[in-house]
Amino acid sequence: MPSQSSIIEVAGRKIQLTQGGQGAPLLYLHSAAGETDWTAFHEQLSRRYHVYLPAHPGFAVSGGLESIHDIQDLAWHTIDLIASLGCSRLSIVGFSLGGWLAAEVAILRPALVEKLMLVSSAGIRLPDVRSPDIFLDDREMLRRVLFHDPDGELARNFIPQSAQDERMLLWIRAREASARVAWNPYFHNPKLPGHLRRIQAPTMLLWGRQDQVFPLALGEAFRKGIPDCQLKILENCGHMLPFEKPDDFVRHCQEFFD
Amino acid sequence: MKFFAFHLMPWDRLPADFAQRHASAWTWIPNALYDPAHGGTLYNRYLDELVLADRLGFDGVCVNEHHQNAYGLMPSPNLMGAILARQTRNVKIAVIGNALPLYNPPTRVAEEFAMIDVISGGRLIAGMVVGGGPEYFSFSVNPTFARSMFSEAFDLILRAWTEPGPFEHYGQHWKLRYVNPWPRPLQQPHPPIWIPGAGSKETIDFVAQRRFGYMGIPYFHLDFFQRNFDMFRDACNRAGYTASPEQLGWLLPIYCAETDEQAWNEYEPHLRYFIDNLLQGLVVLPPGYTSARSVAAIGKALDKFMSAAKTRQELERGGYVVVGSPATVRDRLSELIPRLGVGNLLGLFQMGTLPHELTCRSMTIFAEQVIPGLRNL
Repeated sequence: MPSQSSIIEVAGRKIQLTQGGQGAPLLYLHSAAGETDWTAFHEQLSRRYHVYLPAHPGFAVSGGLESIHDIQDLAWHTIDLIASLGCSRLSIVGFSLGGWLAAEVAILRPALVEKLMLVSSAGIRLPDVRSPDIFLDDREMLRRVLFHDPDGELARNFIPQSAQDERMLLWIRAREASARVAWNPYFHNPKLPGHLRRIQAPTMLLWGRQDQVFPLALGEAFRKGIPDCQLKILENCGHMLPFEKPDDFVRHCQEFFD
Repeated sequence: MKFFAFHLMPWDRLPADFAQRHASAWTWIPNALYDPAHGGTLYNRYLDELVLADRLGFDGVCVNEHHQNAYGLMPSPNLMGAILARQTRNVKIAVIGNALPLYNPPTRVAEEFAMIDVISGGRLIAGMVVGGGPEYFSFSVNPTFARSMFSEAFDLILRAWTEPGPFEHYGQHWKLRYVNPWPRPLQQPHPPIWIPGAGSKETIDFVAQRRFGYMGIPYFHLDFFQRNFDMFRDACNRAGYTASPEQLGWLLPIYCAETDEQAWNEYEPHLRYFIDNLLQGLVVLPPGYTSARSVAAIGKALDKFMSAAKTRQELERGGYVVVGSPATVRDRLSELIPRLGVGNLLGLFQMGTLPHELTCRSMTIFAEQVIPGLRNL
């Protein structure tokens, strides 16, 4: 199924939107890594669903970051985006930063969300859980904390390694756009746990057992806070779950969203 | 030509294996390495060196702001400025600068600078900076707002100095019902403003358009200074006026002794300590601190950074330092000052572990045997 990329206008912001497939609408909210290219797992999902893959403001070629000041601004933007897709209700899968964003959307507009899947999600801080600072410009460290197998081919190729890498400019933009909403408080909203009870959609949490960035304990905290919620744990899997375990990721999506 | 003595006030007792064990002298450097008793001695010694600059006839002294690091121990340069206001008589006191986004609300800067200005009898030069990259980690201030916070704070401070208070300020980052600082500065309409910069076009245009002073920060190759100062003059031309040399300052490590050989032999180990330990971790660019294109450009310009110079010859040729006998230093500066077109030389005399006696002797030689030959440049 071929995907299509276009620039759409969302409440005055020029937004890159890639979409493909047929079936019920499924919105994929990407992580701080800015994975806005159509990858194999998007392609697989598009065999059953109409997958929407927007780039958040400031990521890829999306504009509009100047009026995004915090995660709520980004959540309202996403609500505007859903409206401009012509959807009155849809399922959302959010990965990492995108998971946090999906939770914020589901809190602000519970009736908009058919089903919700949060993968390795940001959004909560627990006092006893340490997580590395992924805003440090230490790409070697990033590789080690993001992936369960930091020396594998996937991990080695994921992050641009030199100023000459053509992906570097997009990588720097992704870091800036993530820092805008997640620098401080670091990848969380202190008020989020108190609002999780407002989420109405059936929710699945998907976590890698070895996630170092947002450890499994955060998944447990989401599970306790969201009313209709289950947590699935993937073994031998780090933070980059959709990339590390694409087949499991797609299978869980299908079982949950069908 | 004006001559200033700049001090970083570095920590001089990092262990010999520091560079092997630590990647950075910034932000995460364990503060167990700081010895408060020695720290007290060091502050007093360093202040004595700036007081000496006053007695030697320098035009000014400079202090600056850094946090959580061994490179420069002045988290509050305003405290140092206040001490110098009392302990010196004639020098300008250039605090370059206060990192505006770290002051909440930034009207504190208007207040404290005005205090130094009135206490010193109008000798303050008010420096304002965005703050270094590491500072955004140290203070957890969002670097993607660095430029807009700086710009809002800067306008607010100038307004607080020039517009009768109280007035309201409702900006993006600060909402202040009553802005009405006491005291007001002695120098009217406000103290001279200097802004240090590392070559970002945003900063150069900002300073040029408002006709303030632009101070090039050190450790870059001479060509990099030349490019930045040329960019500044171009920006002034575009703003409709010709830049004056007084608007430009060149911050340069300098060391003088009787002969070139003696100067290098005395200076080099202390400079090496500085380069190998204290410079590590200075160039940190948190996300959004500057535009994505600037980040990419700076990444490519790092071969023009002092750490890349390994030998005396490379350090000299790149203009990273000027070291030698009074005649050598005078000749080199009388060549470079007109070439760069600067009206202020900010000499960094103490570097790394350079001891008090050598620092004072170098400053004295410079004041007595170098400055007189360069005054009329």
